[in-house]
Amino acid sequence: MNGRKREVARRLFAYEFNRSAHKIESAEERSPTYILTPTGVRCNRVFVVGVLLDREETKPDTNFWRIRLSDPTGVFTGYVGRFQPDALETLLEVEPPELIAVVAKVRHFEGETRSFVSLRPENIAVVDSDVRDYWVYETARLTLERIKAMESKEEEDVLLAWQVYNPDLEEYRSVVKQALQTVIEGAVEVRGEKEEDKEEKWEEEEEKQLEEEFEFEEEEWDLSDILGE
Amino acid sequence: MGGIDKLTEQIVKRFRDSGFDVDAKEISKRLNLLIYEFKVPESEAVRTVTNYLMKELDIDREQLAAESPLVRIADVTTPGKWVSLKAKVIQLWDATSPNISQVGLIGDETGIIKFVTWAKAEKEEVKEGKSYLFKNVVTDSFGGRMQVNVNRNSQIVEIEEDVQLPPRELEVVGALIAIQQNSGLIRRCKLCNRTMTKDICPLHGKTEGYDDLRIKGIIDDGKNFYEVILNEDNIRELTGIGLKEARKIAEEKLERSAVLAELKNRLLGRYFRVAGMRGERYLIVREVEFLKQDIRQIAGELL
Repeated sequence: MNGRKREVARRLFAYEFNRSAHKIESAEERSPTYILTPTGVRCNRVFVVGVLLDREETKPDTNFWRIRLSDPTGVFTGYVGRFQPDALETLLEVEPPELIAVVAKVRHFEGETRSFVSLRPENIAVVDSDVRDYWVYETARLTLERIKAMESKEEEDVLLAWQVYNPDLEEYRSVVKQALQTVIEGAVEVRGEKEEDKEEKWEEEEEKQLEEEFEFEEEEWDLSDILGE
Repeated sequence: MGGIDKLTEQIVKRFRDSGFDVDAKEISKRLNLLIYEFKVPESEAVRTVTNYLMKELDIDREQLAAESPLVRIADVTTPGKWVSLKAKVIQLWDATSPNISQVGLIGDETGIIKFVTWAKAEKEEVKEGKSYLFKNVVTDSFGGRMQVNVNRNSQIVEIEEDVQLPPRELEVVGALIAIQQNSGLIRRCKLCNRTMTKDICPLHGKTEGYDDLRIKGIIDDGKNFYEVILNEDNIRELTGIGLKEARKIAEEKLERSAVLAELKNRLLGRYFRVAGMRGERYLIVREVEFLKQDIRQIAGELL
Protein backbone atom coordinates (compact mmCIF):
# COMPACT_ATOMS: atom_id res chain seq x y z
CA MET A 1 0.00 0.00 0.00
CA ASN A 2 1.43 3.39 -0.77
CA GLY A 3 2.08 5.67 2.14
CA ARG A 4 -0.76 8.08 1.74
CA LYS A 5 -4.29 7.07 2.27
CA ARG A 6 -6.99 7.51 -0.28
CA GLU A 7 -9.37 10.34 0.52
CA VAL A 8 -12.91 9.40 1.48
CA ALA A 9 -15.66 10.86 -0.71
CA ARG A 10 -17.67 13.07 1.64
CA ARG A 11 -21.39 13.68 1.32
CA LEU A 12 -22.76 17.15 1.56
CA PHE A 13 -25.58 19.15 0.05
CA ALA A 14 -24.92 21.97 -2.40
CA TYR A 15 -26.20 24.43 0.19
CA GLU A 16 -23.35 23.55 2.53
CA PHE A 17 -20.79 23.05 -0.23
CA ASN A 18 -21.31 26.52 -1.64
CA ARG A 19 -20.83 28.01 1.80
CA SER A 20 -17.51 26.26 2.35
CA ALA A 21 -14.95 29.00 2.04
CA HIS A 22 -12.13 27.83 4.24
CA LYS A 23 -9.20 26.02 2.70
CA ILE A 24 -6.90 23.76 4.70
CA GLU A 25 -3.45 23.29 3.28
CA SER A 26 -0.45 21.68 4.80
CA ALA A 27 3.06 22.93 4.19
CA GLU A 28 4.18 19.44 3.30
CA GLU A 29 4.81 18.88 -0.35
CA ARG A 30 2.16 17.03 -2.31
CA SER A 31 -0.09 16.73 0.69
CA PRO A 32 -3.79 17.00 -0.14
CA THR A 33 -5.73 20.20 0.27
CA TYR A 34 -9.16 20.31 1.81
CA ILE A 35 -12.04 22.62 2.24
CA LEU A 36 -13.54 22.81 5.68
CA THR A 37 -17.33 22.87 5.56
CA PRO A 38 -19.55 24.84 7.94
CA THR A 39 -20.46 21.63 9.78
CA GLY A 40 -16.82 20.81 10.38
CA VAL A 41 -15.80 18.10 7.94
CA ARG A 42 -12.70 18.53 5.83
CA CYS A 43 -13.14 17.30 2.33
CA ASN A 44 -10.94 16.71 -0.62
CA ARG A 45 -13.29 14.44 -2.54
CA VAL A 46 -17.09 14.29 -2.71
CA PHE A 47 -19.77 12.01 -4.08
CA VAL A 48 -22.83 13.82 -5.39
CA VAL A 49 -26.01 12.61 -7.07
CA GLY A 50 -28.14 15.24 -8.74
CA VAL A 51 -29.63 16.61 -11.91
CA LEU A 52 -27.25 17.77 -14.58
CA LEU A 53 -28.97 21.04 -15.51
CA ASP A 54 -26.63 22.03 -18.27
CA ARG A 55 -23.18 21.66 -19.70
CA GLU A 56 -21.57 24.48 -21.57
CA GLU A 57 -18.12 25.04 -22.98
CA THR A 58 -16.40 27.81 -21.03
CA LYS A 59 -15.12 29.21 -24.32
CA PRO A 60 -16.02 27.90 -27.78
CA ASP A 61 -14.02 24.89 -29.03
CA THR A 62 -11.97 24.40 -25.89
CA ASN A 63 -13.63 21.10 -24.97
CA PHE A 64 -13.53 22.44 -21.44
CA TRP A 65 -16.97 22.23 -19.94
CA ARG A 66 -18.78 23.94 -17.12
CA ILE A 67 -21.51 21.81 -15.60
CA ARG A 68 -24.30 22.75 -13.23
CA LEU A 69 -25.58 19.99 -11.01
CA SER A 70 -28.61 20.46 -8.80
CA ASP A 71 -29.60 18.69 -5.60
CA PRO A 72 -32.71 19.60 -3.58
CA THR A 73 -30.84 22.39 -1.80
CA GLY A 74 -28.90 24.19 -4.51
CA VAL A 75 -26.52 23.92 -7.41
CA PHE A 76 -22.96 22.62 -7.66
CA THR A 77 -20.67 24.01 -10.32
CA GLY A 78 -18.06 21.78 -11.88
CA TYR A 79 -15.49 21.84 -14.65
CA VAL A 80 -14.56 18.91 -16.85
CA GLY A 81 -11.81 18.82 -19.45
CA ARG A 82 -9.54 16.47 -21.30
CA PHE A 83 -7.53 15.74 -18.18
CA GLN A 84 -10.53 13.90 -16.80
CA PRO A 85 -11.07 11.56 -19.76
CA ASP A 86 -13.47 9.14 -18.05
CA ALA A 87 -15.73 11.89 -16.78
CA LEU A 88 -15.55 13.77 -20.07
CA GLU A 89 -16.53 10.74 -22.12
CA THR A 90 -19.68 10.15 -20.10
CA LEU A 91 -20.51 13.84 -19.91
CA LEU A 92 -20.53 14.22 -23.69
CA GLU A 93 -22.95 11.30 -24.00
CA VAL A 94 -25.46 12.82 -21.59
CA GLU A 95 -28.28 15.09 -22.70
CA PRO A 96 -29.31 17.37 -19.83
CA PRO A 97 -31.43 17.39 -17.84
CA GLU A 98 -30.40 13.97 -16.59
CA LEU A 99 -29.74 12.38 -13.20
CA ILE A 100 -26.07 11.71 -12.72
CA ALA A 101 -23.74 10.51 -9.98
CA VAL A 102 -20.45 12.35 -9.77
CA VAL A 103 -17.26 11.49 -7.92
CA ALA A 104 -15.19 14.65 -7.79
CA LYS A 105 -12.23 16.36 -6.26
CA VAL A 106 -12.97 19.68 -4.62
CA ARG A 107 -11.45 22.83 -6.03
CA HIS A 108 -11.23 26.09 -4.14
CA PHE A 109 -10.23 29.42 -5.60
CA GLU A 110 -9.55 32.45 -3.55
CA GLY A 111 -9.87 35.94 -4.91
CA GLU A 112 -9.24 39.18 -3.17
CA THR A 113 -12.71 39.56 -1.79
CA ARG A 114 -14.35 36.19 -2.25
CA SER A 115 -13.70 32.56 -2.79
CA PHE A 116 -15.31 30.00 -4.99
CA VAL A 117 -15.65 26.23 -4.66
CA SER A 118 -16.25 23.87 -7.55
CA LEU A 119 -16.10 20.21 -8.51
CA ARG A 120 -13.55 18.54 -10.72
CA PRO A 121 -15.22 15.24 -11.61
CA GLU A 122 -13.23 12.02 -11.77
CA ASN A 123 -16.16 9.83 -12.72
CA ILE A 124 -19.65 10.53 -13.96
CA ALA A 125 -22.41 7.94 -14.30
CA VAL A 126 -26.02 8.18 -15.38
CA VAL A 127 -28.22 6.82 -12.58
CA ASP A 128 -31.89 6.46 -11.70
CA SER A 129 -33.99 8.20 -9.07
CA ASP A 130 -33.51 5.40 -6.50
CA VAL A 131 -29.83 6.24 -6.38
CA ARG A 132 -30.66 9.94 -6.05
CA ASP A 133 -33.14 9.27 -3.25
CA TYR A 134 -30.67 7.17 -1.31
CA TRP A 135 -27.99 9.81 -1.76
CA VAL A 136 -30.32 12.46 -0.33
CA TYR A 137 -31.09 10.20 2.62
CA GLU A 138 -27.43 9.32 3.20
CA THR A 139 -26.29 12.92 2.87
CA ALA A 140 -29.02 14.01 5.27
CA ARG A 141 -27.99 11.38 7.80
CA LEU A 142 -24.30 12.25 7.63
CA THR A 143 -25.00 15.98 7.78
CA LEU A 144 -27.14 15.49 10.87
CA GLU A 145 -24.32 13.48 12.43
CA ARG A 146 -21.94 16.34 11.75
CA ILE A 147 -24.38 18.84 13.23
CA LYS A 148 -24.43 16.72 16.41
CA ALA A 149 -20.64 16.68 16.50
CA MET A 150 -20.71 20.46 16.12
CA GLU A 151 -22.93 20.66 19.18
CA SER A 152 -20.56 18.62 21.30
CA LYS A 153 -17.58 20.79 20.28
CA GLU A 154 -14.84 18.23 20.76
CA GLU A 155 -12.97 17.52 17.55
CA GLU A 156 -10.34 19.83 16.22
CA ASP A 157 -12.04 20.46 12.88
CA VAL A 158 -15.34 21.11 14.61
CA LEU A 159 -13.75 23.76 16.78
CA LEU A 160 -12.14 25.28 13.71
CA ALA A 161 -15.50 25.34 11.92
CA TRP A 162 -17.03 27.23 14.84
CA GLN A 163 -14.21 29.71 14.71
CA VAL A 164 -14.35 30.20 10.93
CA TYR A 165 -18.10 30.09 10.30
CA ASN A 166 -19.90 30.32 13.62
CA PRO A 167 -22.78 28.60 11.79
CA ASP A 168 -26.43 28.70 12.67
CA LEU A 169 -26.98 24.96 13.06
CA GLU A 170 -30.74 25.38 12.86
CA GLU A 171 -30.32 26.72 9.35
CA TYR A 172 -28.46 23.56 8.29
CA ARG A 173 -30.92 21.34 10.09
CA SER A 174 -33.81 22.90 8.25
CA VAL A 175 -32.05 22.49 4.89
CA VAL A 176 -31.61 18.80 5.66
CA LYS A 177 -35.28 18.48 6.57
CA GLN A 178 -36.38 20.16 3.38
CA ALA A 179 -34.21 17.81 1.37
CA LEU A 180 -35.67 14.78 3.15
CA GLN A 181 -39.17 16.04 2.47
CA THR A 182 -38.50 15.97 -1.25
CA VAL A 183 -37.74 12.26 -1.27
CA ILE A 184 -40.63 11.46 1.03
CA GLU A 185 -43.15 13.47 -0.92
CA GLY A 186 -41.65 12.66 -4.26
CA ALA A 187 -41.27 16.32 -5.11
CA VAL A 188 -38.55 17.02 -7.59
CA GLU A 189 -37.07 20.14 -6.19
CA VAL A 190 -37.37 22.43 -3.24
CA ARG A 191 -37.91 25.87 -4.61
CA GLY A 192 -37.21 28.76 -2.37
CA GLU A 193 -39.12 31.97 -2.50
CA LYS A 194 -38.87 34.23 -5.46
CA GLU A 195 -36.18 36.26 -3.76
CA GLU A 196 -33.87 33.30 -4.01
CA ASP A 197 -34.52 32.82 -7.68
CA LYS A 198 -33.29 36.30 -8.22
CA GLU A 199 -30.29 35.54 -6.15
CA GLU A 200 -29.45 32.52 -8.24
CA LYS A 201 -29.51 34.50 -11.45
CA TRP A 202 -27.19 36.91 -9.85
CA GLU A 203 -24.96 34.07 -8.80
CA GLU A 204 -24.77 32.81 -12.33
CA GLU A 205 -23.56 36.15 -13.53
CA GLU A 206 -21.16 36.33 -10.71
CA GLU A 207 -19.81 32.94 -11.55
CA LYS A 208 -18.78 34.08 -15.00
CA GLN A 209 -17.07 37.07 -13.50
CA LEU A 210 -15.30 34.79 -11.08
CA GLU A 211 -13.98 32.64 -13.87
CA GLU A 212 -12.37 35.71 -15.36
CA GLU A 213 -11.15 37.00 -12.07
CA PHE A 214 -9.42 33.73 -11.24
CA GLU A 215 -8.26 33.15 -14.78
CA PHE A 216 -9.98 29.85 -14.61
CA GLU A 217 -8.05 27.49 -16.73
CA GLU A 218 -7.98 23.86 -17.43
CA GLU A 219 -5.92 22.00 -14.92
CA GLU A 220 -3.28 19.51 -15.73
CA TRP A 221 -3.08 15.95 -14.59
CA ASP A 222 -3.41 15.53 -10.90
CA LEU A 223 -0.86 12.97 -9.78
CA SER A 224 -3.02 11.90 -6.92
CA ASP A 225 -5.45 10.36 -9.40
CA ILE A 226 -2.78 8.21 -10.90
CA LEU A 227 -1.49 7.14 -7.52
CA GLY A 228 -5.02 6.16 -6.57
CA GLU A 229 -5.23 8.37 -3.53
CA MET B 1 3.87 13.35 44.84
CA GLY B 2 0.99 12.06 42.79
CA GLY B 3 3.48 10.58 40.35
CA ILE B 4 5.37 8.78 43.10
CA ASP B 5 2.15 7.29 44.45
CA LYS B 6 1.25 5.94 41.07
CA LEU B 7 4.65 4.41 40.48
CA THR B 8 4.64 2.92 43.97
CA GLU B 9 1.26 1.42 43.34
CA GLN B 10 2.56 0.02 40.05
CA ILE B 11 5.50 -1.70 41.73
CA VAL B 12 3.50 -3.01 44.68
CA LYS B 13 0.94 -4.43 42.29
CA ARG B 14 3.55 -6.10 40.16
CA PHE B 15 4.98 -7.91 43.16
CA ARG B 16 1.58 -8.70 44.57
CA ASP B 17 0.49 -10.20 41.24
CA SER B 18 3.46 -12.54 41.53
CA GLY B 19 2.62 -13.42 45.12
CA PHE B 20 5.01 -11.21 47.07
CA ASP B 21 4.20 -8.63 49.69
CA VAL B 22 6.32 -5.51 49.68
CA ASP B 23 6.37 -2.40 51.83
CA ALA B 24 4.80 0.48 49.94
CA LYS B 25 6.28 3.07 52.29
CA GLU B 26 9.76 1.81 51.68
CA ILE B 27 9.22 1.86 47.91
CA SER B 28 7.82 5.35 47.96
CA LYS B 29 10.78 6.57 50.04
CA ARG B 30 13.31 5.09 47.63
CA LEU B 31 11.51 6.41 44.58
CA ASN B 32 11.36 9.86 46.12
CA LEU B 33 15.04 9.81 46.79
CA LEU B 34 15.95 8.70 43.30
CA ILE B 35 13.56 10.93 41.43
CA TYR B 36 13.59 14.13 43.45
CA GLU B 37 16.99 14.08 45.12
CA PHE B 38 19.07 12.43 42.42
CA LYS B 39 16.93 13.41 39.43
CA VAL B 40 16.94 9.90 38.01
CA PRO B 41 14.42 9.38 35.18
CA GLU B 42 11.21 7.75 36.40
CA SER B 43 11.61 4.54 34.41
CA GLU B 44 15.16 4.08 35.72
CA ALA B 45 14.03 4.71 39.27
CA VAL B 46 11.31 2.10 38.92
CA ARG B 47 13.78 -0.42 37.53
CA THR B 48 16.29 0.28 40.30
CA VAL B 49 13.75 -0.10 43.07
CA THR B 50 12.37 -3.25 41.47
CA ASN B 51 15.85 -4.74 41.26
CA TYR B 52 16.49 -3.84 44.89
CA LEU B 53 13.29 -5.55 45.99
CA MET B 54 14.09 -8.67 43.99
CA LYS B 55 17.47 -8.89 45.70
CA GLU B 56 15.87 -8.41 49.10
CA LEU B 57 13.29 -11.11 48.45
CA ASP B 58 15.86 -13.27 46.74
CA ILE B 59 13.77 -13.84 43.66
CA ASP B 60 14.74 -13.53 40.02
CA ARG B 61 13.02 -11.98 37.08
CA GLU B 62 11.39 -15.22 36.03
CA GLN B 63 9.48 -15.38 39.28
CA LEU B 64 8.34 -11.83 38.97
CA ALA B 65 5.89 -11.20 36.22
CA ALA B 66 8.70 -9.53 34.35
CA GLU B 67 6.52 -7.13 32.47
CA SER B 68 2.84 -6.57 32.54
CA PRO B 69 1.32 -9.92 31.61
CA LEU B 70 1.15 -10.71 27.91
CA VAL B 71 -2.51 -11.07 27.09
CA ARG B 72 -4.69 -11.67 24.06
CA ILE B 73 -6.88 -8.85 22.85
CA ALA B 74 -10.02 -10.87 23.49
CA ASP B 75 -9.00 -11.01 27.16
CA VAL B 76 -8.94 -7.25 27.52
CA THR B 77 -12.26 -6.78 29.23
CA THR B 78 -11.70 -4.53 32.24
CA PRO B 79 -10.30 -1.01 32.29
CA GLY B 80 -7.34 0.14 34.36
CA LYS B 81 -5.06 -2.91 33.93
CA TRP B 82 -1.44 -2.90 32.84
CA VAL B 83 -0.97 -5.42 30.04
CA SER B 84 1.32 -6.26 27.16
CA LEU B 85 0.03 -7.19 23.71
CA LYS B 86 1.53 -8.66 20.60
CA ALA B 87 -0.44 -7.08 17.81
CA LYS B 88 -0.44 -5.80 14.27
CA VAL B 89 -1.38 -2.24 13.38
CA ILE B 90 -4.43 -2.52 11.16
CA GLN B 91 -5.37 1.06 10.58
CA LEU B 92 -4.24 4.48 11.70
CA TRP B 93 -6.78 7.25 12.01
CA ASP B 94 -6.31 10.97 11.98
CA ALA B 95 -5.63 12.15 15.49
CA THR B 96 -8.48 14.40 16.57
CA SER B 97 -6.59 16.17 19.30
CA PRO B 98 -3.09 17.58 19.63
CA ASN B 99 -2.71 15.53 22.83
CA ILE B 100 -2.81 12.35 20.78
CA SER B 101 0.18 11.32 18.73
CA GLN B 102 -1.40 8.26 17.15
CA VAL B 103 -4.74 6.53 17.22
CA GLY B 104 -6.03 3.52 15.34
CA LEU B 105 -6.74 -0.17 15.45
CA ILE B 106 -4.45 -3.03 16.39
CA GLY B 107 -5.31 -6.69 16.24
CA ASP B 108 -4.21 -10.23 17.01
CA GLU B 109 -5.74 -13.67 16.32
CA THR B 110 -8.42 -13.09 18.93
CA GLY B 111 -9.67 -9.63 18.17
CA ILE B 112 -9.21 -5.99 17.37
CA ILE B 113 -8.89 -3.08 19.73
CA LYS B 114 -8.43 0.67 19.51
CA PHE B 115 -5.15 2.10 20.71
CA VAL B 116 -4.19 5.62 21.64
CA THR B 117 -0.63 6.88 21.95
CA TRP B 118 -0.54 10.07 23.94
CA ALA B 119 1.70 12.80 22.61
CA LYS B 120 3.20 13.05 26.08
CA ALA B 121 4.36 9.43 25.85
CA GLU B 122 6.87 10.53 23.21
CA LYS B 123 6.93 7.16 21.46
CA GLU B 124 8.07 6.47 17.96
CA GLU B 125 5.22 6.15 15.52
CA VAL B 126 3.97 2.72 14.50
CA LYS B 127 3.20 1.83 10.90
CA GLU B 128 0.17 0.20 9.35
CA GLY B 129 0.68 -3.47 8.57
CA LYS B 130 3.61 -3.96 10.96
CA SER B 131 3.55 -6.08 14.11
CA TYR B 132 4.72 -4.85 17.50
CA LEU B 133 5.01 -5.87 21.10
CA PHE B 134 3.08 -3.25 23.04
CA LYS B 135 4.63 -3.51 26.49
CA ASN B 136 3.02 -2.07 29.58
CA VAL B 137 0.00 -0.42 28.08
CA VAL B 138 -3.06 0.44 30.12
CA THR B 139 -6.52 -0.83 29.33
CA ASP B 140 -9.26 1.74 29.29
CA SER B 141 -12.89 2.05 28.41
CA PHE B 142 -14.12 4.84 26.18
CA GLY B 143 -17.67 5.27 24.98
CA GLY B 144 -18.51 1.74 26.11
CA ARG B 145 -15.66 0.07 24.20
CA MET B 146 -12.31 -1.17 25.40
CA GLN B 147 -9.11 0.43 24.23
CA VAL B 148 -5.45 0.48 25.27
CA ASN B 149 -3.45 3.59 26.03
CA VAL B 150 0.26 3.92 25.36
CA ASN B 151 1.87 6.13 27.98
CA ARG B 152 5.34 7.15 29.06
CA ASN B 153 5.96 3.86 30.86
CA SER B 154 4.97 1.82 27.84
CA GLN B 155 7.32 0.40 25.28
CA ILE B 156 6.62 -0.39 21.67
CA VAL B 157 8.98 -2.87 20.06
CA GLU B 158 8.71 -3.90 16.44
CA ILE B 159 8.76 -7.69 16.06
CA GLU B 160 9.60 -9.98 13.15
CA GLU B 161 6.57 -12.16 13.68
CA ASP B 162 3.65 -11.34 11.42
CA VAL B 163 0.72 -11.34 13.83
CA GLN B 164 -2.35 -12.87 12.23
CA LEU B 165 -5.67 -11.10 12.38
CA PRO B 166 -9.02 -12.68 13.01
CA PRO B 167 -11.13 -13.25 9.95
CA ARG B 168 -13.43 -10.34 9.99
CA GLU B 169 -16.90 -10.55 8.63
CA LEU B 170 -18.00 -7.16 7.42
CA GLU B 171 -21.11 -5.70 5.88
CA VAL B 172 -20.91 -2.39 4.10
CA VAL B 173 -23.47 -0.18 2.41
CA GLY B 174 -21.90 2.35 0.10
CA ALA B 175 -21.50 3.69 -3.39
CA LEU B 176 -19.15 2.19 -5.94
CA ILE B 177 -17.18 5.36 -6.66
CA ALA B 178 -14.31 3.94 -8.68
CA ILE B 179 -13.48 0.91 -10.80
CA GLN B 180 -9.77 0.50 -11.16
CA GLN B 181 -7.60 -0.40 -14.10
CA ASN B 182 -7.16 -4.08 -14.89
CA SER B 183 -10.81 -4.74 -14.17
CA GLY B 184 -13.23 -6.26 -16.64
CA LEU B 185 -12.23 -9.04 -19.00
CA ILE B 186 -8.71 -9.85 -17.91
CA ARG B 187 -6.17 -12.58 -18.64
CA ARG B 188 -4.49 -14.69 -16.02
CA CYS B 189 -1.34 -16.81 -16.19
CA LYS B 190 -2.10 -20.53 -16.44
CA LEU B 191 0.80 -21.35 -14.16
CA CYS B 192 0.26 -18.94 -11.30
CA ASN B 193 -3.12 -17.26 -11.87
CA ARG B 194 -1.55 -13.80 -11.75
CA THR B 195 -3.08 -11.09 -13.89
CA MET B 196 -1.24 -10.64 -17.15
CA THR B 197 -0.58 -7.36 -18.90
CA LYS B 198 -0.57 -7.70 -22.68
CA ASP B 199 -0.31 -11.49 -22.36
CA ILE B 200 2.78 -11.24 -20.20
CA CYS B 201 2.84 -12.70 -16.70
CA PRO B 202 4.88 -10.69 -14.21
CA LEU B 203 6.47 -13.94 -13.01
CA HIS B 204 6.52 -16.27 -16.01
CA GLY B 205 6.84 -13.82 -18.87
CA LYS B 206 5.24 -14.78 -22.15
CA THR B 207 3.15 -17.81 -21.41
CA GLU B 208 -0.28 -19.24 -21.89
CA GLY B 209 -3.17 -17.46 -20.22
CA TYR B 210 -6.87 -17.79 -19.66
CA ASP B 211 -9.78 -15.31 -19.49
CA ASP B 212 -11.32 -14.14 -16.26
CA LEU B 213 -13.79 -11.49 -15.24
CA ARG B 214 -13.29 -9.33 -12.19
CA ILE B 215 -13.73 -5.85 -10.81
CA LYS B 216 -11.38 -4.07 -8.46
CA GLY B 217 -13.27 -1.15 -7.08
CA ILE B 218 -13.82 1.27 -4.26
CA ILE B 219 -16.96 1.21 -2.14
CA ASP B 220 -17.30 4.43 -0.16
CA ASP B 221 -19.88 5.15 2.53
CA GLY B 222 -18.95 8.77 3.16
CA LYS B 223 -16.87 7.93 6.22
CA ASN B 224 -14.64 5.08 5.06
CA PHE B 225 -13.70 3.43 1.83
CA TYR B 226 -13.27 -0.25 1.14
CA GLU B 227 -11.29 -1.82 -1.66
CA VAL B 228 -13.39 -4.63 -3.02
CA ILE B 229 -12.83 -7.38 -5.52
CA LEU B 230 -15.83 -8.79 -7.34
CA ASN B 231 -15.37 -12.12 -9.08
CA GLU B 232 -17.17 -13.54 -12.08
CA ASP B 233 -20.07 -14.89 -10.01
CA ASN B 234 -20.60 -11.55 -8.25
CA ILE B 235 -20.54 -9.71 -11.56
CA ARG B 236 -22.93 -12.12 -13.25
CA GLU B 237 -25.40 -11.83 -10.40
CA LEU B 238 -25.37 -8.04 -10.61
CA THR B 239 -25.34 -7.53 -14.35
CA GLY B 240 -26.14 -10.80 -16.07
CA ILE B 241 -22.72 -10.56 -17.67
CA GLY B 242 -20.62 -13.65 -17.06
CA LEU B 243 -17.47 -14.77 -18.78
CA LYS B 244 -19.36 -16.01 -21.84
CA GLU B 245 -21.30 -12.79 -22.25
CA ALA B 246 -18.16 -10.75 -21.65
CA ARG B 247 -16.32 -12.57 -24.44
CA LYS B 248 -19.23 -11.90 -26.73
CA ILE B 249 -19.16 -8.18 -25.97
CA ALA B 250 -15.43 -8.12 -26.65
CA GLU B 251 -15.91 -9.88 -29.96
CA GLU B 252 -18.72 -7.65 -31.11
CA LYS B 253 -16.92 -4.45 -30.23
CA LEU B 254 -13.56 -5.86 -31.33
CA GLU B 255 -12.14 -4.64 -28.06
CA ARG B 256 -11.71 -6.31 -24.69
CA SER B 257 -11.94 -2.94 -22.97
CA ALA B 258 -15.55 -2.68 -24.15
CA VAL B 259 -16.41 -5.07 -21.32
CA LEU B 260 -15.01 -2.71 -18.72
CA ALA B 261 -16.88 0.21 -20.28
CA GLU B 262 -20.12 -1.75 -20.12
CA LEU B 263 -19.57 -2.75 -16.48
CA LYS B 264 -18.79 0.84 -15.56
CA ASN B 265 -22.02 1.96 -17.24
CA ARG B 266 -24.03 -0.46 -15.19
CA LEU B 267 -22.33 -0.30 -11.81
CA LEU B 268 -20.46 2.96 -11.23
CA GLY B 269 -22.17 5.47 -8.97
CA ARG B 270 -24.68 2.93 -7.67
CA TYR B 271 -25.22 1.88 -4.08
CA PHE B 272 -24.50 -1.67 -2.95
CA ARG B 273 -24.77 -3.84 0.10
CA VAL B 274 -21.60 -5.89 0.32
CA ALA B 275 -20.84 -8.70 2.76
CA GLY B 276 -17.47 -10.34 2.97
CA MET B 277 -14.23 -10.89 4.82
CA ARG B 278 -11.87 -8.09 5.61
CA GLY B 279 -8.44 -9.08 4.34
CA GLU B 280 -5.19 -7.23 4.70
CA ARG B 281 -6.17 -4.76 2.07
CA TYR B 282 -9.22 -5.93 0.22
CA LEU B 283 -12.70 -6.75 1.28
CA ILE B 284 -13.15 -10.21 -0.20
CA VAL B 285 -16.74 -10.18 -1.34
CA ARG B 286 -19.02 -13.07 -0.50
CA GLU B 287 -22.32 -11.43 -1.36
CA VAL B 288 -23.11 -8.26 -3.19
CA GLU B 289 -26.41 -6.76 -4.25
CA PHE B 290 -27.84 -3.48 -5.44
CA LEU B 291 -29.11 -1.62 -2.41
CA LYS B 292 -32.84 -1.81 -1.99
CA GLN B 293 -34.37 0.43 0.65
CA ASP B 294 -37.77 1.73 1.53
CA ILE B 295 -36.57 5.27 1.20
CA ARG B 296 -39.71 6.92 2.54
CA GLN B 297 -39.47 4.94 5.72
CA ILE B 298 -35.80 5.50 6.48
CA ALA B 299 -36.01 9.14 5.44
CA GLY B 300 -39.06 9.53 7.65
CA GLU B 301 -37.15 8.13 10.60
CA LEU B 302 -34.56 10.86 10.23
CA LEU B 303 -37.13 13.64 10.37
